[in-house]
Amino acid sequence: MAEWNAYYHNEDEEEEQEEGEQSGGDYKVTGRDSLVFLVDASKEMFIKGEDGQPSNFDMTMEVVRSVYTSKIISSHRDLVALVFYGTEQSKNPRNSFKHVYVYHDLDEPGAKRVRDVDGLQGDKGAQLAADTMGSGETSLGDALWCCANLYSDIKLRLSHKRLMIFTCRDDPHGDDSTKDRQARTKASDLKETGVVIDLMHMMKPGGFDVSLFFCDIVSPPEDESELGLQLEPCDKLDDLKKRVRAKEQKKRTMSRLNLCLGKGINVAVGMYATAVMTRKPSAIRLYRETNEPVRSKTRTFHTQTGSLLLPSEIKKAQVYGKKQIVMERDEVDTIKRFDDPGLLLMGFKPMEKLKLHHHIRPAVFLYPEEDEVKGSTCLFSALLMKCREKNVFALCRCISRRNYPPRFVALVPQKEEVDHGKVQITPPGFNAIFLPYADDIRTVDAPQCPVASQMQVNKMKEIVSKLRFKYRSDAFENPVVQQHYRNLEALALDMMAPEDTEDLIMPKVEQIDQRLGPLVQEFKDLVYPNGYNPESKPAAKRKTADTGGGAEKKPKMEVSEDELKAHMQNGTLGKLTVPILKEACKQFGIRTTGTKKQELLDALTARLEITDNLDHT
Amino acid sequence: MAGAKSALVLCMDVGFSMSNSAPGEEPPFELAKKVIQKFVQRQVFAETKDELALVLFGTDSTKNPLDQDGQYQNITIHRHLMMPDFELLEEIQNQIHPESQQADWLDALVVCMDLLQRETKGKKYDRLNIVLLTDLNTGASADHLDVIIENLKKDGITLQFFLPFPVEEDEEGGGDADRRGPSHPGMGKGLSREQKNSMDMMKHIMLSLDEEDGLDQIYTFTNAIEQLCMFKRIERRPMSWPCQLTIGSSLSIRIVGYKAVTEEKLKKLWISVDAQTNKREDLKRETVYCLDDDNETEVQKDDTIQGFRYGSDIVPFSKVDQEQMKYTHDGKCFAVLGFTKQSLVHRHQFIGNQVIKIFAPKDDEWPCRPSSGRWHELKMVAIVRYAYDRRSNPQVGAAFPCIKQDYECLLYVQLPFTEDLRQFTFPSLENNKKFTPSDTQLSAVDSLIDSMMLVEENENGEQVDMFKVHQLPNPAFQRHFQCLHHRAVSPGTPLPPMEPWLKAALERPEVISERCQAPLEEMRKTFPLTEVEKKKKVKTSAQLFGKDSEEPDAKKAKGDEEEEEYNLADIAEGSVTSQLTHRIEQLLSNKNTQYYMKSITCIQAFREQSIEQGNADLYNSYLQSLKRSIPNRGLEVFWDLLVQGTISLFTWDCRISLKSFLP
Repeated sequence: MAEWNAYYHNEDEEEEQEEGEQSGGDYKVTGRDSLVFLVDASKEMFIKGEDGQPSNFDMTMEVVRSVYTSKIISSHRDLVALVFYGTEQSKNPRNSFKHVYVYHDLDEPGAKRVRDVDGLQGDKGAQLAADTMGSGETSLGDALWCCANLYSDIKLRLSHKRLMIFTCRDDPHGDDSTKDRQARTKASDLKETGVVIDLMHMMKPGGFDVSLFFCDIVSPPEDESELGLQLEPCDKLDDLKKRVRAKEQKKRTMSRLNLCLGKGINVAVGMYATAVMTRKPSAIRLYRETNEPVRSKTRTFHTQTGSLLLPSEIKKAQVYGKKQIVMERDEVDTIKRFDDPGLLLMGFKPMEKLKLHHHIRPAVFLYPEEDEVKGSTCLFSALLMKCREKNVFALCRCISRRNYPPRFVALVPQKEEVDHGKVQITPPGFNAIFLPYADDIRTVDAPQCPVASQMQVNKMKEIVSKLRFKYRSDAFENPVVQQHYRNLEALALDMMAPEDTEDLIMPKVEQIDQRLGPLVQEFKDLVYPNGYNPESKPAAKRKTADTGGGAEKKPKMEVSEDELKAHMQNGTLGKLTVPILKEACKQFGIRTTGTKKQELLDALTARLEITDNLDHT
Repeated sequence: MAGAKSALVLCMDVGFSMSNSAPGEEPPFELAKKVIQKFVQRQVFAETKDELALVLFGTDSTKNPLDQDGQYQNITIHRHLMMPDFELLEEIQNQIHPESQQADWLDALVVCMDLLQRETKGKKYDRLNIVLLTDLNTGASADHLDVIIENLKKDGITLQFFLPFPVEEDEEGGGDADRRGPSHPGMGKGLSREQKNSMDMMKHIMLSLDEEDGLDQIYTFTNAIEQLCMFKRIERRPMSWPCQLTIGSSLSIRIVGYKAVTEEKLKKLWISVDAQTNKREDLKRETVYCLDDDNETEVQKDDTIQGFRYGSDIVPFSKVDQEQMKYTHDGKCFAVLGFTKQSLVHRHQFIGNQVIKIFAPKDDEWPCRPSSGRWHELKMVAIVRYAYDRRSNPQVGAAFPCIKQDYECLLYVQLPFTEDLRQFTFPSLENNKKFTPSDTQLSAVDSLIDSMMLVEENENGEQVDMFKVHQLPNPAFQRHFQCLHHRAVSPGTPLPPMEPWLKAALERPEVISERCQAPLEEMRKTFPLTEVEKKKKVKTSAQLFGKDSEEPDAKKAKGDEEEEEYNLADIAEGSVTSQLTHRIEQLLSNKNTQYYMKSITCIQAFREQSIEQGNADLYNSYLQSLKRSIPNRGLEVFWDLLVQGTISLFTWDCRISLKSFLP
């Protein structure tokens, strides 16, 4: 058992080593990303949909909130602002713009801001919005100008600037062509300073005509196609969320490499991490007196002289066979160096040669970089088409950074997919799957078992089809991370208790039982001989084998319900041992959080009393 | 199991016949020595607990416990049973020479058996093995052959022979040595009578120990050297993880999991030592904490508490509170959430770094086979909640049924949580006319793929894969051990070049590179690829600023690929400004306050110039790049001067487009 434990315990350390390769979210060096939500606060936005559907304003606030919380978790250093236009009241830094209400200045989102946005949701929220801001005249030009000032007031370096307009009015200024012109000018000024403007247009009666006005405001789509403007207006929260999320995250390359097909044929590609494990963030140290963060400095000094040592005064060593082998620091690096960074095409293999279990780390996504090598996109595209057509993958040797040893990757072609609203759900490109070396594959002796009968198999198939559902990769939140942030939120906002998190990866036992019904028993009858309890340990077989010390001795602990009831009535329930009580809890399907005897007793008593009552009625 | 180790005796013939060789061939002695060296090296670096002894025979002296009444002469126990180390390697290198006696190899074998018996007494070994390296050129007396075989069997000792020549399995009477061809080294003049005799005895022993495969344990020196050039792959014994697969509340099936695939790391990390003394104890690392103020006031570790960031808020959160409030769960778990179509679980969304194989347990009396699939016919996978134990975080993952000829199992792989996904969108490739490949281009790619297929059918209609990555040892480990070994045995010399076999293993197979020449030429013609000039300019700015930003660096691993590269060349196009920037750079190369002040004056002039021209871009981008280069050039003092009110009329925010305050 020792090894498994060791693995889990070292998780953090291992992570550190790998961070360089897998980091997808840490870009402190480049400056901050920024995002401004520019939200229409006109009366039209507050009109509720049919059948009590949320208003456009409600949907927008919901989306803003989800962006806030996801930023807090995944990229807390990004700056976000919330600005309303078409308001009655005005609030902006120099109060130079009328009908523009800066609700949140460009800043890192925090707990308070999340609460603020919560406050703007629902009927109460609409009321609050009406009270504080109201709805009034619209001048998008002023609103855009105000946003421009928000950007320029920031004293930090910004790497990516984005502005999203949420509205359901395709002609905000009516016939006022001066305002239209002014808005266009301001929009182009913004775009010139590197701000990308997106339109999140929402449903209104009569449809949303982008070409009326907004086509001149928004930034052209990346691929110069007209896809962006053909998007249908959103009328569902999920669609809006998806659309915002797709835009909100800035694509970052992990590295840019050449894919070398042969001498002189280099295609420039960018590597993107599309799935990166989010962990609980590491703690920061604070000074006890002031709660201000402290910095840590690590230095190396000589034990005898006490003088600080320069890197050149330190060497690296490993001990093998009782001998210490010493190397210079740069030698340690050169050992890892095999070749310059890049992808080298080795050849192609049919798709079925890619084994499901050859998985050692998350895949990365490849997309051509036309800016580096002109012509890359065309060749890449041709390669992609042909690989798909021939159902093959490309095997490449991959050196992802300087002084990184090589790994082999399978480049698997991926076709572009869009959903009903023409939003891209799968981008076109290659997924690079990392392949294991011989060292990475362990020899596992498969235990020999008899083959299942056709009857048993069929029964299992029935069970399987009863429990079918449609898996979506974004359906499960990480309960550990969520709980951690709820805790922090509660502490930050002085809440009494953290909000409840639903553990989405807990099996819905009741539903499953209900769906399966008698199938379970039928299956058990087919497979297990009478009375076999798979939950009990096999009898005393592991005594010699299990040296790990983890072997729990489990005494016979089947206690029937009647016996338990008898114990309860006689008040002798307490005489039973903890393992027996636990087992009894299990039998009754009582989930116990505690392991203390009293807790178990309480849980059992409560349960037995209920069944008792039921029996009597 | 922790205590499992093996004991091995290397028994090498150093007698005079071992030095005989045909002209131009390496004598058997040298080859045998190499085999031993390579073998011990591997053992040393693999750090197994296996113990090793070395017995030499044919030595001039005699040193063994059986030495009595002129028996067991010229046999020396060089090293008793213990773990191999570099000392042993050095001894092999320096102390083992050809000697001038001959000794009976069967006697030597008996000494080895005796040694094993004495020195393994009371300890537990899972394997006892004797390796004999000899040319069999000594007359051995067959007197006690049966007793020896009996004892080998009784003690469970296995034998391996390494010879200078190959052994034919079914030799047709009379040493027709020529039939084997003289090409094999050591075969020079065919076998002597003694050798043939010994060979028969050896075969007799081997076949009595293992009737079927006994002869497979006889190797030649040259083959052995080839096979031993690779360092041992890292082997870890998979540990079992017994658990129960549950479906709903009442159906549970006993299972056992093994980690089957995972990215293996080197077991040892580098330690830091003092460069002078090479001693680890002479170094001490210390971490201090300081406030983020001008004086960097140090604070004691005890005066710090733990906190976390919640967006812009910093929340003090003690370990105790954290422990109490954190997510807890019931521990070990493999619970089915439901079943879904396999096509909905995308291969590229696998996360984590391992694959676990789930079996029905070996000792289960009523094994529940359907657990391990058979529903694969439905093309369905189970989505499960997996938790290793109480202390570890639960995961969501997929269990794929896997049906192999001799076993069935489930393959468990972790899947992402919502938080882990980054849904990037990329411009469409197909709908873009600018990048649509022509038919000629497509057919060029077509023939390239055909010429580079690594999997082919051979004449028997079987598929042959000529590049199996999963059979390649991790090149990083191989190189690592090669360098360590080199440094250990020849300190003070530069690291060796990579082993040729390793280099070759990382290149395209030769067949492929020949076959793809023509299609590649076609590709070169049909796809024009031009490197965008940017690269070169980056170089000039890199030279100017003395920083190497050409390639992403593993150590720095910075992700700022997106950063616009500022090119001095861009702005240095004629005009006053180029002269100004040139001057500024010149002045800044002298690290002195006086020069700093001068450069500040220049910057001021630059700014005024820009305002005059109504073009703020040059000035802004210059300052931006200057600011960026400050840390690399050690110009912090200068920057401080610049910022600290020396010229307060400046707006020091370089991001502001000057437009906003230009008239």
